Amino acid sequence: MAAEVVAAAVSAISDIEVMKASQLGMKAIGAGLAVGLTGLASGIAEMAIGSAAVGATAENKDVFGLVLLLTVIPETIVIFGLVVALLLLF
Amino acid sequence: MLTPEQMSRLLIVASKDQMTPVITELYRHNLFHIEDYVESGAKGYEGFKIGTPLSGATEASGELVKIRAIQNTFSIRSDDFEVKERQKQSGLQGQIERELPAIEQEVEGLTQKRSKLETKVKEYEQKITELTPFIGIPGDLDLYRGYLRFAVFAGYVTHEISLSVPNEMFVVKGKGKNFIIVVAPVENRNVVEGALQEAGYQAVTIPDESGDPKERISFYSSQITLFKKEIEEVNQKLEAIKVKHASFLVACEEILKIQVDKTEAPLRFATTNETFVAEGWVPSVSVDSLTKALITATGGKIFVTVLPTDLEHDSVPVEYHNPSFAKPTQMLMDVYSRPKYTELDPTLTLSIVFPLFFGLILGDVGYGLMLLGMCLVLRKVLKGGEGAQLLIVLRNASISSIIFGLLFGEFLGFPLPWRPLIFSRHLNIGVSEGGHGPQIPELMILAIWIGIFHITLGRVMGIVNHARQDHGAHRTKAVMANFGWILVMWGILMIIWSIIKMPYMPDFTTMPSVVMMLNVAAVIGAVMLVVGVLFIARDSGLELIEIPTIISHTLSYTRIVAVGLSSVAIAMVVNYISIGMLIEPQLENITITGVLFIILGVAVFLIGQALNLALGILGSGLHSVRLHYVEFFTKFYKGGGKKYSPFGFNRRFTED
Repeated sequence: MAAEVVAAAVSAISDIEVMKASQLGMKAIGAGLAVGLTGLASGIAEMAIGSAAVGATAENKDVFGLVLLLTVIPETIVIFGLVVALLLLF
Repeated sequence: MLTPEQMSRLLIVASKDQMTPVITELYRHNLFHIEDYVESGAKGYEGFKIGTPLSGATEASGELVKIRAIQNTFSIRSDDFEVKERQKQSGLQGQIERELPAIEQEVEGLTQKRSKLETKVKEYEQKITELTPFIGIPGDLDLYRGYLRFAVFAGYVTHEISLSVPNEMFVVKGKGKNFIIVVAPVENRNVVEGALQEAGYQAVTIPDESGDPKERISFYSSQITLFKKEIEEVNQKLEAIKVKHASFLVACEEILKIQVDKTEAPLRFATTNETFVAEGWVPSVSVDSLTKALITATGGKIFVTVLPTDLEHDSVPVEYHNPSFAKPTQMLMDVYSRPKYTELDPTLTLSIVFPLFFGLILGDVGYGLMLLGMCLVLRKVLKGGEGAQLLIVLRNASISSIIFGLLFGEFLGFPLPWRPLIFSRHLNIGVSEGGHGPQIPELMILAIWIGIFHITLGRVMGIVNHARQDHGAHRTKAVMANFGWILVMWGILMIIWSIIKMPYMPDFTTMPSVVMMLNVAAVIGAVMLVVGVLFIARDSGLELIEIPTIISHTLSYTRIVAVGLSSVAIAMVVNYISIGMLIEPQLENITITGVLFIILGVAVFLIGQALNLALGILGSGLHSVRLHYVEFFTKFYKGGGKKYSPFGFNRRFTED
């Protein structure tokens, strides 16, 4: 009888540990998704801007500074992703 | 400070015989930004005509073109040229007339000779390529031509060939294709041609030469060597001329450029038969001195007056007016847009806040020192221009990085031996137990506070700008709208603070509740929000769709932490892979493979850190600038001012 209770208690504890571990894993997956997907989104957005920027620079070198900035504007998306990931993890 | 240099509109009227002294005086002072006169029959300018250049304009510009051509030949650029000693203009003037034609002739002769030689070399090289296939075939080149009854074919074939008609054939085996010579009677020409076509024939021109092909090739090769030697001699002569006359040439260019500028100045003035009128802008502080100088130069035969400035219609040229430490940052402003004359010039705030942002993002003693070193070394190479200004901006940024690196306690991703003096950014990478870990929420809140204050500052500057630029009812509305934006932002903050408790932010959650779930702070916040929205809507209803940007722009400042942390993470990962995984385990027991691993580890460390340094500089710089351009400037700044470019020139190589 006593042995069964102990066994049940042990298994309950190990269940909690498994649950904690899986929660940690879920957090990690969530953080990974947040950075990865937003990274992709930034990449897609920067694709069009970047190619246009190179074209514009070829036409007129003076706009280099400006187009470099325009190109990094979509980086906000991935930075928000990174922020969310950091908040998830810590 | 915070406003551009104050300008005055100056009107100069004098008789035409005073034109030369007036132009000389204006040019010397380098202060007068000429408003070009356009014949449009503007009020008060009826009947005026654009002036004609002074005498000597054509000659001077002709000479200038020639000098620039010579400079091109020598690839001398006056910008890169070191100034040794200034030459007297009076002496040079004579020298130009005496020496320039001779130099010009010499250079022209030499370059012509060089291009002739180069053509010859190319021609002979072509001949050698034509002759090369015939090397393998014994016999003189004469033997290939001059027949009445025989046709000669020479070329490459890809397949074996056999002919049904009488012929003589010679084949040289080659890679993939064979070189073939066929001699056949003229009447069989068609048959031979057909057979050759089938074998994938590619004709080769028979060179118009006589003698042994090998001998001819060696003759041509020796000739080419001779020509190349001659080219080398010509180049040496040109180099000698360059060394001897380079400083003379840049000085000449400068003098002639000045002459052209001066003689062509009347093209920008309004003239009548006997008089001329010049209008332009002068920094207000210099009006008196310039007027006095003009009166002295013309013996009082001149009328100079300050015209009233009409801020709405005049496009006043803009010159920055900043303390010297902020001057290099003007370059970052010019990349965006020069401020308008009536606008606040944010250079000063940019020059202070940009290094702070940069330091907060990079925040590493090691990278800061490396960047500082790079800037100091490159400063020696780059003289003047925007590049040098950028280097000064980066130097300031690197110093700020070192300071923040000391506060964060970071050196190339390694922790410094003390606890971080402000929030820790040390991640638990490669640390098994006991690392204190990063204080990310605190850092984020710090970044958001920076954002809140930066944006509020931007809006306050917006209020000032609208108050200065607008008039009447629109002015009040625009000012109120900007104030409304501030109210909305702080209102939202009040509501958030009344609901959630956050570290390093005011805690209003414990305040007594008033209605429903809302407490005092929340109600105040809601009132601020509503009033703010009303203020914005009164100015322009469309602006309301921009309200979500309050949140996104404020959150955007968290990039200061995020970009910084990613840079820390890369550094720590590089350190962990190179030292923790590759080097350290091998040090316990050194073997030959172990040494290889250690070398690999060092390579990983160097490459990784170099990459992270590059990324760090690029990322920190771009994101700091971006926070200004996108989040800060959009609140108040329009730009689009005209650059102040005074009539004159800073002499570098010559003096009067």
